Amino acid sequence: MEIGGSGQGKSSLAAFRKLFSLIGGERHNLIVASIAIFINSALSLLGPFLIGHTIDTYIQTKQYHGVLVFSGILLVLYSASFAVNYYQMRLMGGIGLRMLYNLRNAIFDKLQELPVDFFNQNKAGDLISRVNNDTDKVNQFFSQSLMQFIGSIFTMIGSSIFLISLNPVLGLAVLLPAFIVWIFTRIVSPWVKRKNAESMKSVGGLSAEIQESLANFKVIIAFNRRDYFRRRFEEANQQNYDKSILAGIANNTLGPVYNLASNVGQLIVLGLGIYLILQGRFSLGLLISFIAYVNNFYHPLRQIAALWANFQVAMAGWDRISRILSLKSNLPVIENANTEDSCCYLSFSDVSFNYPSGKEVLHHVSFNLKRGKTYAFVGPTGGGKTTTASLIARLYDPSKGTILLENKDIRSYSREERTRKIGFILQEPFLFTGTVRENIVYGNDDYLNITNQQLTEEIVSAGLESLLIRFENGLDTKVHTTGDGISLGQKQLIAFMRAVLRKPELLILDEATSNIDTVTEQLLEVILEKLPPSTTRVIIAHRLNTIENADEIFFVNSGNVIPAGSLDDAVNLLLHGKEEN
Amino acid sequence: MDNSISQDTKVKVPQPNVFNLLKPYFKLVFFLILMALLGNGVNLFLPKIIASNIDAFSSGHFEIRTLIIEFLGAALAIFLFNNIQGIIQVFASERVAKDLRSELSNKISRQSYSFILKSNPSKLLTNLTSDIDSIKMFVSQAVVTIISSFFVIIGACVLLLQINWKLALTVIAIVPVIGGAFFLILTKARPLFKRSREIIDMLNKVINESIMGASLIRVINSQQPESVKFLSINTEARNLGMSILYLFATLIPVIMFVSNLAMVTILALGGHFVVLGTMSLGSFAAFNSYLALLIFPIMMIGFMSNLIAQASASYRRIYEVLKAPETRETGSITGNIMGNIQVKDVSLFYDGKPILKNISFDIKAGSKTAIIGPTAAGKSQLLYLLTNLILPDSGTIELDGTILDQYRKEVFHSQIGFVFQDSVVFNLSLRENIAFSDQVTDASIQKAIDTAELSDFIASLPNQLNTVVSERGTSLSGGEKQRIMLARALAVNPKILLLDDFTSRVDRSTENKILCNLEKNYPGLTLITVTQKIAPIRNFEQIILLMEGEVIAIGTHKELKESSSEYVQIYESQRSTQHYEV
Repeated sequence: MEIGGSGQGKSSLAAFRKLFSLIGGERHNLIVASIAIFINSALSLLGPFLIGHTIDTYIQTKQYHGVLVFSGILLVLYSASFAVNYYQMRLMGGIGLRMLYNLRNAIFDKLQELPVDFFNQNKAGDLISRVNNDTDKVNQFFSQSLMQFIGSIFTMIGSSIFLISLNPVLGLAVLLPAFIVWIFTRIVSPWVKRKNAESMKSVGGLSAEIQESLANFKVIIAFNRRDYFRRRFEEANQQNYDKSILAGIANNTLGPVYNLASNVGQLIVLGLGIYLILQGRFSLGLLISFIAYVNNFYHPLRQIAALWANFQVAMAGWDRISRILSLKSNLPVIENANTEDSCCYLSFSDVSFNYPSGKEVLHHVSFNLKRGKTYAFVGPTGGGKTTTASLIARLYDPSKGTILLENKDIRSYSREERTRKIGFILQEPFLFTGTVRENIVYGNDDYLNITNQQLTEEIVSAGLESLLIRFENGLDTKVHTTGDGISLGQKQLIAFMRAVLRKPELLILDEATSNIDTVTEQLLEVILEKLPPSTTRVIIAHRLNTIENADEIFFVNSGNVIPAGSLDDAVNLLLHGKEEN
Repeated sequence: MDNSISQDTKVKVPQPNVFNLLKPYFKLVFFLILMALLGNGVNLFLPKIIASNIDAFSSGHFEIRTLIIEFLGAALAIFLFNNIQGIIQVFASERVAKDLRSELSNKISRQSYSFILKSNPSKLLTNLTSDIDSIKMFVSQAVVTIISSFFVIIGACVLLLQINWKLALTVIAIVPVIGGAFFLILTKARPLFKRSREIIDMLNKVINESIMGASLIRVINSQQPESVKFLSINTEARNLGMSILYLFATLIPVIMFVSNLAMVTILALGGHFVVLGTMSLGSFAAFNSYLALLIFPIMMIGFMSNLIAQASASYRRIYEVLKAPETRETGSITGNIMGNIQVKDVSLFYDGKPILKNISFDIKAGSKTAIIGPTAAGKSQLLYLLTNLILPDSGTIELDGTILDQYRKEVFHSQIGFVFQDSVVFNLSLRENIAFSDQVTDASIQKAIDTAELSDFIASLPNQLNTVVSERGTSLSGGEKQRIMLARALAVNPKILLLDDFTSRVDRSTENKILCNLEKNYPGLTLITVTQKIAPIRNFEQIILLMEGEVIAIGTHKELKESSSEYVQIYESQRSTQHYEV
């Protein structure tokens, strides 16, 4: 699940092809736009030809009437070009924007689809930089450069056709510098792209660094390590500087070379053109048109040089994004295996689990949970309690063995079905920026359009009103993801209300009340009692009072889950279990 | 110049000018502009060379060698100047960005915790990344482009006027027309640009929350609503992009059309002059070439003015952080502390609502004090006050009879250990996570690890102390993280140890062992702990009961059991399990 660094990317072409797959329904628009661009290029290319013609046939022969006629023709031509140009820009720009729109949605949906595992293994700062920054780079290319890019290519092709058909020898000679430049570009492009990828990677590293330090600033102050923050930042900053310089220089190599090629092209026209006129194979008017065409050919080429760096940057960004897009969830829903006979609501049979880092944290665990009972999982820290809970909620799949939920493999349930049945209050409560209300009803289809009053009724009937009064403005109290404005205990209260209102069949509390005072905790117990009698509860806790009402206690230690018998046994195990192991 | 600026500073808030940023890089910027002007200057002469050669040919004086020498020389000179300009450009912009980032991060690193909270870490992240990026763009492109664009426009105009002033004036007339069109469209587009920046921020917020809250989203299956949320903002982003696009889809064809009109004018009017014999054919060709040179800079100035507006806005945001008043180092006392704490009539407000109200109590050096109370009573904030992380709105806190502010911060913090409620594990090796302060010796690391009961755990790791733990510490269990926090706090050999709900994630037997170890390994330690559990604190010298920001009762367990009904209520809530204690 880890996404690679720069790595060996595929060729630009392959990546580009993949990018175009996002066009989807735009094929028709793209064809129309291409035709528009073609017409536009043809119209604007006709200009110099007509001017050259006018010079040769009218100006040099001093027939001013003809000059005026052709000026009129040019005016009509340019007016038509104006209309087509406008149409083409709107069309192409729209395609670019819609592609970007699809790309962003694709990434976001992919992020939603990937398992928790993925987020544990990648630094949040780097991920965020990847999704925000790199998409932005692709965005810049799409919204600003793509049109120019395609337009420039058309103009170049058109110009070269005119150049060659006006005079094949001179035309080919003029295109020679461009050909050399093209080869040069092909040679340096991989280098340019690599340097840009490295630079982006260092940007990701920098923002990960900043994110980590700023989010934990109180620790830095309390431990008097401002110098640490500065040093780490300086390192990342310096590295980013080095990489950016290289990328910048790489991006700047093409411009001057293209410029030179353009000027050499003009020189060839002038020198060779005059030579051809002397031989009587060319005219002065055509020479002036030719110079215009050379400009028409090399100017877009220079633009492409500038855009090419953009294109490489976008491709490097796209590479990093597509590496996320190509990841597959490792938690697929399987075809239902046969219904197995089991007495219980949920059972683990011979389940082992190891994290991708390799260490096995659960060894051949088997146990059964019956409907409507309360189970406590106790044991020393690091023993595997949270892992067990995470497996019940299918945040991970076991490496060996199976978990049955109502006699069916848990992997055969759809996400909706599974999460409707299983509620899980996580050890680290997370709040979305918004109000308490938004956080409580979040992701709960039953309360989609519920009014505040109806919600209050629901809260009262679940016995949660005594918790709600702990918030200044009740349901409308504002909370913030990174907020230190509300306490951990309050966050846990919100998480508790959120889970209870979902009315799950199985509710897991993973040390969900550890930062709540014991008086409030007693309230929570009463609330848990009021859950429908068929609700199965799984409580993970250190505090013994929270588990004394459990129907059965499991002792979890060193990756083993064993029934503890009575509360006294559990206490004994807790106090001495570690030594015995 | 300098005078006026320093006066500005005295008078009122100086308006930050993004151009001031360039002052320290005067030499670099100077060479940059010089190279750009040289490159563009030589470029201006190319059409002239073409024109003079065509005319020379018409009059029969054409010589191929002069053409090649002149033209190739000019082309190579341009190539050279362009390259140097490109390199200086990269160095200048990256230097400015790097230095500004350093300055900003240094500034932030000197700030107080409450400043970081107030200015919001994610906003500071934007300051350090995308705001600096837009300044980088400004340095690398805007300055040079604008100066060289004006140079080219003026140069081309002068040359045109020299060739034929009548024709030149009609052609130059397009400059204000194009400029005006640009101004009109950009004025309309600017609010849209601003709005689109805001929308990008909103998109990023949704992405960030979906990454940080990944576990929760999966547990409550809210992927769908998240996507819907994202989709609606993304749709707005697209629609806004369309509005901007339509503006520019009008602008660019208009510019093209206007410049084409100039082309027709050259043909009709210039042709007229050539027919009359008042202008040469070479000059006629030169007019065409100069027209092409003229259009591009006008467009560039338009685009760059937009870039400058963006950079100015970014710089203003950065400037606010840079010029924010700094936490002054008030303290000068550097001696060892004893640990006698006196809290006198302390109040604290957050967003105008009281968190702590007139708190007073004393703590004796070497004693053990517990603070208990319901959720959101203000317990953590009280600890933050004691460590000087935040300052009280009224009242004073004294340590050994001296107000906290009088201590030098480093000296003060190096004698205080703080275990925060939330576990903060850095993406570093365990050794660096524990020896987080630089004065930590191997012996004190070992003592801290032993005391925190981490030896077995560390021994079980593949690389022991050198194991790198992941950013959000997800490869560690909650209890392991908390014990690492404890070891970190102990590694500085503190005189005072503050524990914020430390035992919430640590099991009873480990907790008991840790408390024993503490007494054994750190004798004379002043312990202040925020906790929910009464059992471990029964023999503490002092228990402070805090409720809704007020001290309800102070005393020993025995005293409180008799005098405080609230305490008794908490005690009763835990009583059923009391007999399980050892």
